[in-house]
Amino acid sequence: MIWRIGIFLWIAATMAVALLAAPLVPVLQETTRVLYFHIPSAWITVVALGWSMLNSVLYLWRRDLRRDDHAAAAAELGFLFCIAATVTGSIWAKSMWGSWWNWDPRETSIFFVLLIYGAYLALRGSIEGEEKRARLSAVYSIIAFVAVPPLIFVVPRIYSTLHPDPIINTSGKIDMDPMIRWCFFSMLVGFTFLFSWLQSLRVRVFRLERRLAA
Amino acid sequence: MPNAASSSAATVWAILRKECRSEWRTRYGLNAAVLFAVTSLTAVTFSAGRMPDRPDLLAALLWITLLFAALASMSHAFVREMESRTLLLLRLVASPTEIALGKLLFNIAFLLVVEAITVPLFLVLTGAPPVRLTQFLTILGLGTLSLAASSTLVGAVIAQTRSRGALFAGVSLPLLLPVLASGVAGTRAQWDGMPILADVRLLAAYAVALLGVSLLLYDHLWED
Amino acid sequence: MSSGAAVGVRAEKLSHRYGRRATGVDGLAFAFDGHGTVAVTGPNGSGKSTLLRIIAGLLRPTEGATTVIVDGRECPSARRRDFLGLATPELSFYEEFSAVENLAFAAEARRLAAPRRAADAALAVVGLAARAGDRVAAYSSGMKQRLRLAFALLHEPPLLLLDEPGSHLDEAGRDAVREVVAHQAARGLVLLATNDPREIQLAERRIELRGHGLGDPA
Repeated sequence: MIWRIGIFLWIAATMAVALLAAPLVPVLQETTRVLYFHIPSAWITVVALGWSMLNSVLYLWRRDLRRDDHAAAAAELGFLFCIAATVTGSIWAKSMWGSWWNWDPRETSIFFVLLIYGAYLALRGSIEGEEKRARLSAVYSIIAFVAVPPLIFVVPRIYSTLHPDPIINTSGKIDMDPMIRWCFFSMLVGFTFLFSWLQSLRVRVFRLERRLAA
Repeated sequence: MPNAASSSAATVWAILRKECRSEWRTRYGLNAAVLFAVTSLTAVTFSAGRMPDRPDLLAALLWITLLFAALASMSHAFVREMESRTLLLLRLVASPTEIALGKLLFNIAFLLVVEAITVPLFLVLTGAPPVRLTQFLTILGLGTLSLAASSTLVGAVIAQTRSRGALFAGVSLPLLLPVLASGVAGTRAQWDGMPILADVRLLAAYAVALLGVSLLLYDHLWED
Repeated sequence: MSSGAAVGVRAEKLSHRYGRRATGVDGLAFAFDGHGTVAVTGPNGSGKSTLLRIIAGLLRPTEGATTVIVDGRECPSARRRDFLGLATPELSFYEEFSAVENLAFAAEARRLAAPRRAADAALAVVGLAARAGDRVAAYSSGMKQRLRLAFALLHEPPLLLLDEPGSHLDEAGRDAVREVVAHQAARGLVLLATNDPREIQLAERRIELRGHGLGDPA
């Protein structure tokens, strides 16, 4: 209860300050606001992916179904945050650079992560039997992990040389006005707590479902 | 005690020969795969027409065709075992890794046969410029390795699910995008006369990583 | 070659659940050592086939463990297939191959010294020598059952796991099963999962799965 209210207040307060009081980044002008929820969303996408994959490995090692609960919950949440990041990013791209999608390195990476999440969730949805589902999705999660470094770091570079990138992707990260920096990091923290809370809720639901069916 | 690796090799070889003999007897896998490859190839080249001066498009279309051919035909290796219920027999005579290696080698051979028919046809139908043979074949070969490695593992996973065909492509795609990117870049580079070393290195590293990790995972696939 | 003198199967706190349903394999514990035949009995769905699969190393139990002893030493799960033969109704063969081709493949995969000879010998034992070259697709259910037996015997394992070996078989077939079991019991261990009283008679020891664990030995 305290957590729920605490997180809500934290994010609301940060958002209020960010929208009302924080100055605008010169390059971004009015679109500065997007960096308060677009980048944290992307951040959580990556955190969720890592947490999900880690728990997949742990499941195969220990065969503890609670690890599978965590992997599945993180994947679901990560998927949602990934959609949020992709969509907000696309809207930002449209208003900044005039087109919805550019195959810019970062856009490409987040889209690939979306595909991995989608495949993982589709796979889970088609397997019957708890242990089998946990085992097979863990296997997929681990092999997808091999694909992630190329997809995030290598392929986008190749794309950007094939399709010359007229836009330099900066988000003014390094030299930020202190107030912006505070709001931004505070949002990151707020989002992380939000994810962690949602994750614990989802895991608890999984556990209850299992106990109910037993 | 006989050396473990050489005796495993004997089992893998036996499984590979069995697959080839089985495919030769029934032949429906190969027929369907070649038919599909030629069909999609025709659709693509017919719509795009001749483009001798567009190596970028040529490279992209070639790899898309190969990707589709692989996705359409590669799932059958394990699905067939499931449908004929012979997986139990295999599991009683060989370890999961040996089974997977046998199937992997078969999948590589299978893909090479399909490519041997599809690729020359593609080059002819699109009026592609002459290829630098060694470079072109290197890129193609390494890409095929990754395609087969990924398809063998995903095929083994998918064979145990309920909605096999539809899932296979979607689940494979994230794993195959790096192959697509490097394959297209490398193929285009060899037409442009540019160096292909970076792409070759990427393809090789990725194939090795895929193969290595997947071989570790096969032991966990069949436990019921 | 295994002397067969030191062969055994043990189970400790063995349980397996399908989904949420418990089976007869629930807190099971037993130890059988030495030559002979053990019958595994119980009502349908009580877990006889499940137990055999767990011992064969094909199925990972939800709780507990089994141990297979060969030549006096414990055999790890991954290597059990080399030392045991399993014949269950779920075992299917490659229909496009002939019986001898199926067995020859199995023998090659098992790295036997003379695969073709082993295949012919196994087929002869179960009385299929005359139809060895026919495709399995043309086999009757009785012939397929004999083929399963031949497959289990192919590599002369010290431990034989038979799941309802007499099903689909005529008198001659059942005689063959009896001979096989007797021959195996003299040099190794047989676990026979069945509800057929004629087959239960072949065993001197017995496990009864009732949904709650071990029954009294016969």
